[in-house]
Amino acid sequence: MNKKIWFKTAFILIVFALAVSPLFASGSQEDMVTTYYDADASVESIVVDAATKGQVGNWGIGNEYEIQALLTKYGQPTTYLSQAFDMDGFDDDSILLASAMTYNELGLVKNSYDGGYGYGDTVSYIDMNDEGVAMLEDNIFCNAEFAAENPETVKAFVYASMKGWEYACANVEEAAEIVYNYGSSVSAEHQLYMAGEIKKLVETDTKGNTVTEYGKIDKEAVLQSMELAKTYVKLEDSVAAENLSNLTIGDLVDSSYWEAAAASNGDFDVEKSEITVQLKWLPQAQFMGYYVALDKGYYDEVGLDVTVVPGGGDIGETTAVYTGQVDFGVTWIANLMAANAGGMDLIEVAQVFQRSGIVLVYKLN
Amino acid sequence: MSDRKEFSLNKNMISTAVYPIFFGLFILLLWETEALHKIIDADTFTLPVPSRIIGIIAENLPSILKNTKATVQVAVGGLVLGSLLGYLLAMIATAFPKWGKGGLTIVSAFNAVPVIAIAPIMTNLTKDFSRDPNLRSMLAKTLVVMLLCTVSMSINAFRGFNELKPFSEDLMKSIAAKPASVFFKLRVPNSVPYIFTALRVSVPGSVIFAMVSEYFAEYIIGVGRQIRENIVLAQYATAWAYIAAAFVIGVTMYIILLIFENILLRGRR
Repeated sequence: MNKKIWFKTAFILIVFALAVSPLFASGSQEDMVTTYYDADASVESIVVDAATKGQVGNWGIGNEYEIQALLTKYGQPTTYLSQAFDMDGFDDDSILLASAMTYNELGLVKNSYDGGYGYGDTVSYIDMNDEGVAMLEDNIFCNAEFAAENPETVKAFVYASMKGWEYACANVEEAAEIVYNYGSSVSAEHQLYMAGEIKKLVETDTKGNTVTEYGKIDKEAVLQSMELAKTYVKLEDSVAAENLSNLTIGDLVDSSYWEAAAASNGDFDVEKSEITVQLKWLPQAQFMGYYVALDKGYYDEVGLDVTVVPGGGDIGETTAVYTGQVDFGVTWIANLMAANAGGMDLIEVAQVFQRSGIVLVYKLN
Repeated sequence: MSDRKEFSLNKNMISTAVYPIFFGLFILLLWETEALHKIIDADTFTLPVPSRIIGIIAENLPSILKNTKATVQVAVGGLVLGSLLGYLLAMIATAFPKWGKGGLTIVSAFNAVPVIAIAPIMTNLTKDFSRDPNLRSMLAKTLVVMLLCTVSMSINAFRGFNELKPFSEDLMKSIAAKPASVFFKLRVPNSVPYIFTALRVSVPGSVIFAMVSEYFAEYIIGVGRQIRENIVLAQYATAWAYIAAAFVIGVTMYIILLIFENILLRGRR
C-alpha cells in the first residue's frame, strides 16, 4: 500500500499549522510593557495618554456618554474600547482607563474578597462628578399615561420606596443582608461594600452636598444630564434625533408625585394595588431600597402588592414599562431620553441616585 | 417534448418562486397598513412599518454599509478558512481511519459549545495579537466563525470521502489503482455534494455566528452589534433597519451558494 500520499498530506498540514500558529501566540512581548500613572498626575494627562493609546474602556449600550463628555473636555476623540462586564481587560492592561461603577466594579478591582482583583491602594480613579460631566443614574419612572390614571398608586409607590431607601441608608449592613437573601448575584461581602457605596450616591449630590430628602428631583442635575445626553446620544433615526434635541425637562420629569409623597402621611387610596417594578440590573444592593421596602412591609402599609423583577444583560427596562409588562422601572436619564425620543412617553417620578456612580479607574506606578 | 419540459419548468417556477413572492408582498402589505400589528397585537413602536424602516436605511446608508461590510468580512473570512480547515481535517481522518473517525467525533463536540461561550474566550485569546482593537476584534470574530464552520465541513466531507457507491472502491482496487488515484478520482468527486450539504448549514450559520460574536468584541462595529445597541436604547426603527441589513446579507450569501451549487452539481442530480 502506498502511504506516501498520506505522509505528504500530513507534512503539508504540519507546515500549515506552524504557519498559522503565530496568530494564536502572544504578540511581541517587548511592546507589552505598560507604564501606569503617577499618583500626582493630572486628570488631563491621564485621559490624554490613555485616549492617545486607544485604551479607554466602557461597556457602551448607553453607559458611554459621561466618558465621551470627559474625552471631549480634554480634546480627545470620543471612541472607546468595548469593555466586558468583568474587569479582566483592566487587569491584563488591554484597558488603561477602565469604566467602573463605584459600588460594583471599583470594589471588585480594589477588594480581595471572592471575585475581587485585590488592587487595594495601587489604583486610583477619575470621578465624573468632580469633572462636571456627571449624568443622573437610577431613578423611578413609569408611563406618563399610567401616572395620570393612577396618581395615588404612583405616590404610594414613591412614598414606600423612599421609606425603604431611608431605612436602607440608615442600616446599611441589614439592607445588604436583606438584598442578599432576596437572591443576590454577588457575594455577601461585595453586597455589603456595594450597600455602603450606594448610600453615598443616594445621600450626596453631584457637587458633594448632603441630600436629606430621598428621591428628590434635582432640576439642575437633570438639566446637566439632558444637556450631555443631547450632545452624546447619537441616534441614526432622524425623526428620533429631532425629538431628542427638542426634549424639555417637562417631557421627561414630573416631580409632583414625589412632592405629594414627601408631604403625605402615608395614607393613599391606590387605584391599582398589584404593582411590578423592573430593575435595571441583577438583584444587588444597587436596588436595596426596594428590597428593604418589600422586606419591611412598607409597600403593604400603603396598600401595594409589589413584585420586584430583576434585570440583567440587555434587559430593556424602558420597553418593559412602555409595553405594560411592568408598571414601574429603574433606569438612567439618558436611557429615558433615548426612549422618549424614539416615541415612548415615559416620565420620571423620583430620582434615587443624586450623583453619578461612574468612575474611570487606572493603575498607579 | 422539449416544449412540454419548458412548460413544466415554468409551472415549477411559479410554485417555487412566484407564490412565495406574492405571499411576501401580501405580508408586507399587511405590515405597512398596520393590519399585521392588529393580528399579532404589536405596536408600531416595537414593530415599525416597512416604509419607515426603508426611510432609515436610505438616510443612513453609509453607516449601514460600513457595518454590513464588517459583518460580511468576518462571516465570509471565517466561512472560507473554516471550511478549508474542515475539509483538510476530513482528509486526515480519511487517511488514518483508525483514529480519524473518533477524532472527528471529538471535533463535532465543538458544535455543542454555544457561540456565546466561544466568543468571549476568543476575544481574550487574541488581545495580544495587535495594538489595533479593530484588527484584533476582527481576528477574534473570524476565529469564532471559523471554528464552527470547520466542524460542519469536516463531518460532512468525511462522509463524502467514505460513503462511496457500492463496489466503486473494489473496482478501483481491482484495476490496481494507487491510493492517490482512489482519493482524487473517487473520493474527492464523491465529496462535492457533501461539501454543499455542509455549506448549506455553514453559510447562514456564519452570518449568525459573526453577528453574535460582535456582541463580545472589543471594537464596536457590525450589524449584530448595532441591533443590540439600538434595542437597548429603545431605537427599534433603527434596530429594524439593521435587522433588514442582516436579512439581506444572509439571503444574498445563500443565493450565491445556491448558484454555485447549481453550476457545480449540474448533471449529478
